[in-house]
Amino acid sequence: MTNHWVDLRNADVVLVMGANPASNHPISMKWIMEARNRGGKLVVVDPRFTQTAAKADLYTPLRSGTDIAFLGGMIKYIIDNNMYFRDYVVNYTNAAFLVNPDFKTPSQLDGVFSGYDEKTRKYDKKTWAYQMDANGVAQKDLTLKDPNCVFQLLRKQYARYTLDKVSSITGTPKDKLEDVYKVVGSTGKPNRVATVCYAMGWTQHTVGVQNIRAFSMIQLLLGNMGMAGGGINALRGESNVQGSTDYGLLFHILPGYNPTPTATVVDLKTYIEKFTPKTKETRSVNWWGNRPKYITSYLKAIYGDKATKENDFGYDWLPKVDEGTNYSWLNLFDQMFKGKFEGFFAWGQNPACSGANANKVRNAMAQLKWMVNVNLYDNETGSFWKGPGMDTKAIQTEVFMLPCASSIEKEGSISNSSRLAQWRYKAIEPVGQSMPDAEIMNELYFKVKKLYQKEGGKFPAPILNLTWNYGEKEAQGKVKHLDTHMVAMEINGYYLEDIYDKTQTPPKLIGKKGELCTNFVSLQADGTTSCGNWIYSGSYTQKDGKVINMMARRVKDDPTGLGLYAGWAWAWPLNRRIIYNRASVDPNGNPWDPKRAVIKWNPTKENPATNKPGLWEGDVPDGPAAPLSDEKGGKLPFIMRADGVGAIFGPGLADGPFPEHYEPLECPLQENPMSKKHRINPTVKLFFGKEGGLAEDVFYSCDTRYPFVCTTYRVTEHWQTGVMTRHVPWLMEAQPQMFVEMSNELAKERGIKNGEKVTVSSARGSLWAVAVVTDRFKPFKVMNTTIHQVGIPWHFGWQFPVDGSGGESANLLTPTIGDPNTMIPESKAFMVNIEKAKG
Amino acid sequence: MARASLLISPELCIGCRACQIACKSWNQLPGDKTVNRGSFENPADLTPDLYNKIRFVEVPSENNPVRWLFVSQRCMHCDDAGCMKICPAPGALYKTKEGAVAFNKDKCIGCKLCSSACPFNVPRYDKNDKVSKCNLCADRIANNMAPACAKTCPTGAISFGDRDALISKAQKAGYAAVYGQADLGGLGAIYAFHDAPKLYGLADKPVIPEMVVFWHKYLKPLSWIGIGGTAALMLLHYVAIGPKKDQEDKDDE
Amino acid sequence: MNRSDLITKESTFGIINHWALAISCIVLTISGFGFLFQIQGIGSAFSGFPAMKVVHNWTGVVFTASLFLSMFNWLKESLTFDSDDIGWILTAGGYLSHKAKVPPMHKLNTGQKFFYLTLLVSGFAIAATGFIIWLMPENKSMLVLSHFIHNVSFIVITAFIPVHIYLSTLGNPGTLRIMITGKIPYWWAKKKHPKWVRELEEGHGN
Repeated sequence: MTNHWVDLRNADVVLVMGANPASNHPISMKWIMEARNRGGKLVVVDPRFTQTAAKADLYTPLRSGTDIAFLGGMIKYIIDNNMYFRDYVVNYTNAAFLVNPDFKTPSQLDGVFSGYDEKTRKYDKKTWAYQMDANGVAQKDLTLKDPNCVFQLLRKQYARYTLDKVSSITGTPKDKLEDVYKVVGSTGKPNRVATVCYAMGWTQHTVGVQNIRAFSMIQLLLGNMGMAGGGINALRGESNVQGSTDYGLLFHILPGYNPTPTATVVDLKTYIEKFTPKTKETRSVNWWGNRPKYITSYLKAIYGDKATKENDFGYDWLPKVDEGTNYSWLNLFDQMFKGKFEGFFAWGQNPACSGANANKVRNAMAQLKWMVNVNLYDNETGSFWKGPGMDTKAIQTEVFMLPCASSIEKEGSISNSSRLAQWRYKAIEPVGQSMPDAEIMNELYFKVKKLYQKEGGKFPAPILNLTWNYGEKEAQGKVKHLDTHMVAMEINGYYLEDIYDKTQTPPKLIGKKGELCTNFVSLQADGTTSCGNWIYSGSYTQKDGKVINMMARRVKDDPTGLGLYAGWAWAWPLNRRIIYNRASVDPNGNPWDPKRAVIKWNPTKENPATNKPGLWEGDVPDGPAAPLSDEKGGKLPFIMRADGVGAIFGPGLADGPFPEHYEPLECPLQENPMSKKHRINPTVKLFFGKEGGLAEDVFYSCDTRYPFVCTTYRVTEHWQTGVMTRHVPWLMEAQPQMFVEMSNELAKERGIKNGEKVTVSSARGSLWAVAVVTDRFKPFKVMNTTIHQVGIPWHFGWQFPVDGSGGESANLLTPTIGDPNTMIPESKAFMVNIEKAKG
Repeated sequence: MARASLLISPELCIGCRACQIACKSWNQLPGDKTVNRGSFENPADLTPDLYNKIRFVEVPSENNPVRWLFVSQRCMHCDDAGCMKICPAPGALYKTKEGAVAFNKDKCIGCKLCSSACPFNVPRYDKNDKVSKCNLCADRIANNMAPACAKTCPTGAISFGDRDALISKAQKAGYAAVYGQADLGGLGAIYAFHDAPKLYGLADKPVIPEMVVFWHKYLKPLSWIGIGGTAALMLLHYVAIGPKKDQEDKDDE
Repeated sequence: MNRSDLITKESTFGIINHWALAISCIVLTISGFGFLFQIQGIGSAFSGFPAMKVVHNWTGVVFTASLFLSMFNWLKESLTFDSDDIGWILTAGGYLSHKAKVPPMHKLNTGQKFFYLTLLVSGFAIAATGFIIWLMPENKSMLVLSHFIHNVSFIVITAFIPVHIYLSTLGNPGTLRIMITGKIPYWWAKKKHPKWVRELEEGHGN
């Protein structure tokens, strides 16, 4: 989230699209309902009339996988009707930037942007660049009239997204479409703000990233980024999934969103050169320019004294990935299926049910020599070898079960969607032999380290040089019990020397050797500071010699009245509650909307840090620099971007600088109504196609055998694959079985009665489900044909309840295909068939 | 303490059923084995182990595919409680000082009469034939805590507090008539909504069965009058007219 | 036959039947009042209401069985009426005036017959509804109706109890012995039940 949960109440319009907070984020509805109570409007766009839709002021359906068409139409509507916030767009976005005249949009090139190579399915982004002036700064046309400026390109790109066209793609009635555009567009005024709540309904598509970008662009057009009650808000589906990405659980990032080095990035210098953005724009803060400090401090945190200037701070010990190789989920299991893996830690997950195309995943695990299942309960993954359709005798995989402690049996922090790190305490001792994950890792680490010490091995240095100062040690050096406070302190970082601010005369002492860092502003690139994750620097800090766990704070004061609650726990970065908040003020530093002033520039108040007049009041600002209009030190608001402005034109993505509508891998249409040549996203990696591929990855689009659009989702009572919740009888009582929701029209067509068992099948698998026949699904009118859509939850699995009464995983049906940027699987739009269950 | 009650606002309810589960958790009620019956609503009805259930109701709508209503179904804690009227066992059903209709399984005789006198079809019986229903978390409110359902509700669709204050809160929020404000002496679970009560599965005018009321009002006192009256008559006869004496018979003979 | 010779008015079976009815009726009445008015003292005497319910139900079984068997003892006689019964009613059985000329009665006088029939009807009503309450509580409207009828019958039966006790003890000294020994003196029988005695003497009495 750019904003935070409580902030939802400050919105005039809450658009919920690709999410169902009433079911899956019920607490968020507290704030959404509060927004409504204050006169705000809740707008819900979803294929199904959800529990959230039941509370909406305006609901409209759309066919799964057509969000870009819907939002592209919105962009057109906002531009055509002059609903955008011109001052904001001109000053704070790249709308005025001039793009290379050779740049072409899909409207000109039948579905692709300029630079597309059909063979590699990749773009050469040469033409996606700005026209630079002599100083190396992008040229601009502040009148937004130049045909090559971003704004005019945007207009051109979405000229095709007319109400009629959009309606025929999405199946949304035209009047409803216009209603939504009007309501959202109404927030293009300084005193009106819209927010968006999205979740997997936007991300799990082959155009997932572009779905989110499309609305980010709208938020920039309407001037809603950085505003209280605005922003782009991902409702994270797991209590600590924000933490998991912050800490680099994904293959391509190290903690703090530093890129994972590739094999071609041979040393730290090259790394810094390659990954540190540069700009000639003097008004840009370009915060990522600090990358050298963060990566060096990170290396110091993990390798400690072993990391020296001479050995490149141990950069060589960091694992490197192969250039151009994607190590995300679909590829990992594809490789596992092909026998490329020996072992697998399934840690806190249940791939046998959570992995797209789960049959393939289950068979992939059969190729393993060993598997370690770390979980609260045995699950479909640990017991995969005795699952349905498995040739148990032929499977040689040795499975180890390590029972781990639940969240209430251990102490530590979690980071929620608001980027809020909250410290939590242990309520009860772990049950039986189960251990907190960190304790299991502690055990593993010392066993592995011992082996390396004894046997040497191929590359012992990364393990032998790793710091592990997480508690009292035994004689042999093993940490007896892992202290999460010490982990948190390592993450915050230490001053390894006395640090001085050398810009001042005489140099001013910033931090004393051995003390915890104040925050990331004081981190150094020369190895004199350590920090495990720069964005969390400041979360466990030291003031006047006293150590303070900022995440454990529980102050309920709210001086701004905006619900920032700055004294409650701690939000990264720097306890900032609304990021990009410098965009909430005009170039003079006055709030666009004084009634919800996130920050405000006070030009006369003295800044205690600099002893000069001029101070931001309110939330922690995005940097202390003076507002844009200040001729000496004024800075642009989007400090994480090299050019300092919001990116309406986004050349960073794999599939285009503007979102373009493509159909899902499996869809009911023969061709893309927007461009005949490219039905699906032209940059996705195809696991199956004309060039061959595994039979397991087969897909059938526009095939009469699988005529219905299907999407997956969650219910309140269950969590993910249901491993935790299926063992709770209370929850099973309320939501006991796999079901499929469908319209009355479809049920009638197929002779299906409410409550009876049906078979749902796709190209890749089938399962039984109880038919929930309801008016909450309605057939769509798409390209003059009737399209039915159904929906299934993905919480069930064969292993529990043991009598099989729960049903099977929805992922038996989902395809092996992912977004070209993130490789997130397309679980939200695929094709199925529904029949009455036999027997 | 003044009378406390629940204010249930279905228009704020999002159907998350946190209250349904929290109730089970606090009261340590087992989960029953159920099946999906073609609805999110489950179990089908209140059970001895289900004190509070969210009903999912789909009704036609003008602007949308459907209207989907969510409402908590449970003991209404009537001031004039039919169950307590008819209950033969003292202390089996009782009023707490906050006005909750609570129960004591040790004192329940398992006659099930309460279930027949309830205007809302609420009391259920456990496997030992003991009464089982929402007791407004009497143990929690006695310790100044809100009932589990109200405590856990994320949107304030169930709130708990001083009854008069809740009524004026609802009125201020634009609900002219609060369901249960005056019915049955005033319910301890009052509802704020703009629709007809029957849309939410509630009777327009909830009443205790007439026969129960008649019995309570007239038959019960008549029982004393019957036995006491005839006994008095007999005494009067003995004094005023006197018994038929054996001796007289002999004289006749 | 001498005037003081004893003749049998009630069989042993009849006596046992009577007392089974009487005792069960009294137990049911007392516990019934306990339930009706939630009288703690009565409940305690039965060691608690749950136990009292068990006693009440099973005593109800005894009562019902006794009532059923009673039909073999008193039903036929109770259903036999003639013009003297009208006379008995007109003279109120002589209870309102010792001077009144009461018509001759059979083995049971009109009052006794009516008492028995009332007991029989309300007894079966209370028994049947009792069993419904006990065994078929699932049908709510049936339960309410049964509970209602149970109580109407209760009022009738309990109202008759003082009358019956009074007339068989203080009101008619000497009557009680019928239900103890089963025998009454000849003169007493002739006085009270002349038609029955005549039949006995004519040899076709029972």
